[in-house]
Amino acid sequence: MLIRIAAALLLLQQPSNRTIAIDERLAEDARIAIGDRLVVSARPGASGGDTVIVSAIVKRGADPADIARSEYQVRMHLDQLQKVVGYGDRVDRFAVATRGPAATERAVSDINAAAFGFRAHRSRDIAVGTSRTFQVVSRFHKAIGVITIVASAIFLLCIMLLKVEERRRDVAALRLMGISRATVVRGIVAEAALLALIGCGLGVGVGWVSSQFINWYYQGVYRTPLYFSLITTPIVTLAVGLSLVLGIGAGLLASLRLVRTPPLTLFGR
Amino acid sequence: MRFALAWSSLRRHSTRTLLATLGVAVAAAMLLDMVMMSTGLRESFRELLLSRGFQLRLAPKGTLPFDTDATIENTSAIVATLRSNPNIVTVSAVLGGTIHIPVGDRVVTSAALGIDPRVQGDYELLSGKDPLGPDEIAGNDDFLRATGARMGDTLDVATGYDPQLRTYAGSRKLVVTGRVRFLYGAANQLATAMQLATLQEMGGPDRRDDASLFMMKVRSDSEVEPTRTWIERTIPGVSAISTSSALAQVDQRLSYFRQLAIILGTVSLFVGFLLVTTLMTVSVNERISEITVMRALGVSRAHVVQQIVLEGIFITVGGAIAGLGLGLLTARYLNSILSSFPGLPVAIDFFLFQPKAAWMALGLLSLSGIAAGVYPSYRAASLPIATTLRQEAIA
Repeated sequence: MLIRIAAALLLLQQPSNRTIAIDERLAEDARIAIGDRLVVSARPGASGGDTVIVSAIVKRGADPADIARSEYQVRMHLDQLQKVVGYGDRVDRFAVATRGPAATERAVSDINAAAFGFRAHRSRDIAVGTSRTFQVVSRFHKAIGVITIVASAIFLLCIMLLKVEERRRDVAALRLMGISRATVVRGIVAEAALLALIGCGLGVGVGWVSSQFINWYYQGVYRTPLYFSLITTPIVTLAVGLSLVLGIGAGLLASLRLVRTPPLTLFGR
Repeated sequence: MRFALAWSSLRRHSTRTLLATLGVAVAAAMLLDMVMMSTGLRESFRELLLSRGFQLRLAPKGTLPFDTDATIENTSAIVATLRSNPNIVTVSAVLGGTIHIPVGDRVVTSAALGIDPRVQGDYELLSGKDPLGPDEIAGNDDFLRATGARMGDTLDVATGYDPQLRTYAGSRKLVVTGRVRFLYGAANQLATAMQLATLQEMGGPDRRDDASLFMMKVRSDSEVEPTRTWIERTIPGVSAISTSSALAQVDQRLSYFRQLAIILGTVSLFVGFLLVTTLMTVSVNERISEITVMRALGVSRAHVVQQIVLEGIFITVGGAIAGLGLGLLTARYLNSILSSFPGLPVAIDFFLFQPKAAWMALGLLSLSGIAAGVYPSYRAASLPIATTLRQEAIA
């Protein structure tokens, strides 16, 4: 009993170390494990600092804003961080949970009307403000996408034209046998549509495999759980729809050009 | 003769030739853009870093210059240590901060750099003079526009704004002496420069001897790495960054764009090759009888191959020339999109035209055009003449 009381008194006399949580990237790079003691200070190499115990290793969130920054993240108790960085009793921001959209609007207007020296912002507005980098990347991707579509359209038109041109003798024979122009055009367009559909199927497959590879590769490079490539239903619908329209359009143009040529000319006579 | 035959053959199928040339042009434009992007950003950043001849930079340990708000203490001692090294020719200490200028009933907030104007490498003077005095300030066009200040005007400049108390930690009256352009400034960013000591004093006791960055000129390029190692060994708490290590960091951070450029460039090259190959194969198949007749008349195999390869070269070179113009136009448009990255220096170009890279891209495409024509033409020219003529006659 006496020993237990002495031990308790000894513990009370020792400065109690605070705990911190570190992110898995820091834990991995610096080989830090739970229970390790660290000295934290606001400036590199500064003397003194606070000794803390690592109590948790946390997984990084999928935050796009962190992507290009190879920073480490440490979570500390607020009062301890204020003390370490000499921030007094100040904070950078408060996060406020409300009961719903209407309550948010009321809270924002009430705080802004009454507060002295700070402003309330909706989380949505902050997200828009801080995601400018990704808006730029998104615009860039869209521009590249448009160029790719133009290139694909020309390529497809060219291939379809060549495919149909290859069939000059077949078409001439069909026309001489009495098959109508409309039937020939329908036949060629159906063939073009089928070709485009098969291409779409292959394209979706290749896209899915590429997407898996891109996510695996960049998640490893940037060490983030963020998804870099997502194949969604609207994207597949757009790609398939566009390919079908382009394929059928190209087939139609090429076949119309062919059926307008006299059959004997198609035979080379 | 070969040229004339190849040209007339292409003209006979004008729509097909036009479409193929257009396809190659788009592929060439894309290829050129991707080559420009894969090398442009790095080269542009390198040029910017070396534009004032500073080969080494010192930032707080583990950070890149101005990547965080961290500063380096004991600037005077560090400058003295650096100057003791005979390889270091120039040392320029820079402190970054934020200043506030009341203009009427509003407050203009701007970035501020504390520098030594005699050795600075952060801006170029456009008009007026450098802020050589302790109560002088120079600003960029955005700053002068926002404050409405002109040369010789005196501004109330404050730092350390406390939003809760609406007070400032330090305040000075500074005279506008110069109009400058900041080399590392982002688009529409308000920025100013003043004496390092002025900004340090305005920051209060905590910042009295602080700097955010040191820039150094080293006697020769071969001394950069030994000097960098010496600094890291001698001065704790700082990271010494050479131009090559800064480029490596940028490469790592923006590897996505380089890899995207490589992938899309390869796809473009492949698409161009595929297009010309398909066209040439179909064209040759269509002209088997014509080719066989030529062969029967005594035209050599090499002549036939050369004529068909020439057709491929015409399409590829025509497309590549059109693609060069198209590529430069699209590169300008894509660059305008990426230049709006928040915080990116205006001087950085994602798409930088380098003649060597452009010629390499177009050369690759032309080679693929030649390669595309060789196989089908050789195959057609190698067919047995009598058998082929008989088959064609039956058909």
